[in-house]
Amino acid sequence: MSDNRIEGYARGLFEIARAEGTLDEVEDELFRFARSYENSDELRSTLSDEQIPAAKRQAIVEDLLGGKATSTTTQLVSMVVGSGRGRDLPAIVDKLVARASSAKNLELAEVRTAVALTADQQTRLAAALANATGKQVNLKVVIDPSVLGGLVATVGDTVIDGSVRTRIDQLKSRL
Amino acid sequence: MSAFANVSAVAGRLMAEDITQTPSKFWPESYEILYGTIASLLIFGLLFKLAGPLVKKGMAARTAKIQAELDSGQADRAAADTEAAQIRSAKGDIAGERARILAEADAHAASIRTDGAARLAAEIADLEARAEADIVASSGRVDAELRAEIARLSSAAVDHVVTGSLDEATHQELIESFITRVGASA
Repeated sequence: MSDNRIEGYARGLFEIARAEGTLDEVEDELFRFARSYENSDELRSTLSDEQIPAAKRQAIVEDLLGGKATSTTTQLVSMVVGSGRGRDLPAIVDKLVARASSAKNLELAEVRTAVALTADQQTRLAAALANATGKQVNLKVVIDPSVLGGLVATVGDTVIDGSVRTRIDQLKSRL
Repeated sequence: MSAFANVSAVAGRLMAEDITQTPSKFWPESYEILYGTIASLLIFGLLFKLAGPLVKKGMAARTAKIQAELDSGQADRAAADTEAAQIRSAKGDIAGERARILAEADAHAASIRTDGAARLAAEIADLEARAEADIVASSGRVDAELRAEIARLSSAAVDHVVTGSLDEATHQELIESFITRVGASA
């Protein structure tokens, strides 16, 4: 799909979430769903398979998110998947998150971690990243077991890598 | 006397003669000598007159034929002499050619020996160089394989040890350490 269409979908989702007054929650849930979508080959192939009827794909989305996410998030994902744009869902969500961050004058900070962060850790981490980059950040935490331990934070073009995975890779490289 | 009487007388006389007897022991009758001489002269004269030219011509032809044969023999002899000279000359040439061919063969053999020795020496040197290179390469390959295997085992050990040691407390410690370090890096 062209960038214009992705941008159009992102703008549409953004406006709906903002109109619903659930932008922060929707943005966060969509972000996490997009990362799960990227990491799951089965989910990705199922939701982007044109051979599966749209209604069935939407039913799968509702089964997955129903009760775990806001109804707005569920309906937005269902709409994207139903319109045959499931393959572009991560890109659409990334644009939406970037737009939301921009609207709040925040810089998107994606943090990958092997274990979930507590609310307190997220707050302190956001402050630390703001302190390090000089920008207020919109923190998005992604649980990524491949990190093994520690964190990898990406703020704009800056990557702060404190993961065990990277240290092991460096050690292996030296070996 | 009548003719009859004469003939009878002659006949009687002749019959009375012994015809196996001659008047001379050595000489025939005179008329026989006369008639024989005349007949012989006639025969010899006829022979001389008629057969003489033919005999003369035949002798001349025979002489010419013999002369031609002599000339032909002389020519054959000259040709044989020439051929013998040529053969003798050719024999000398053959000896020279043989010597030349043998010398050429010797030179060629010597050249082949020299070239072969040089080529063998070059091949031996090349083989030695390649063998040395192979040994060095094999040694390097074995070293590299050994290092790779050690690295692989070490990597696996690192993964195993690190992953096994990452308990909840370690995770939290790593997270706190990261937050502290990032916060202090302003």
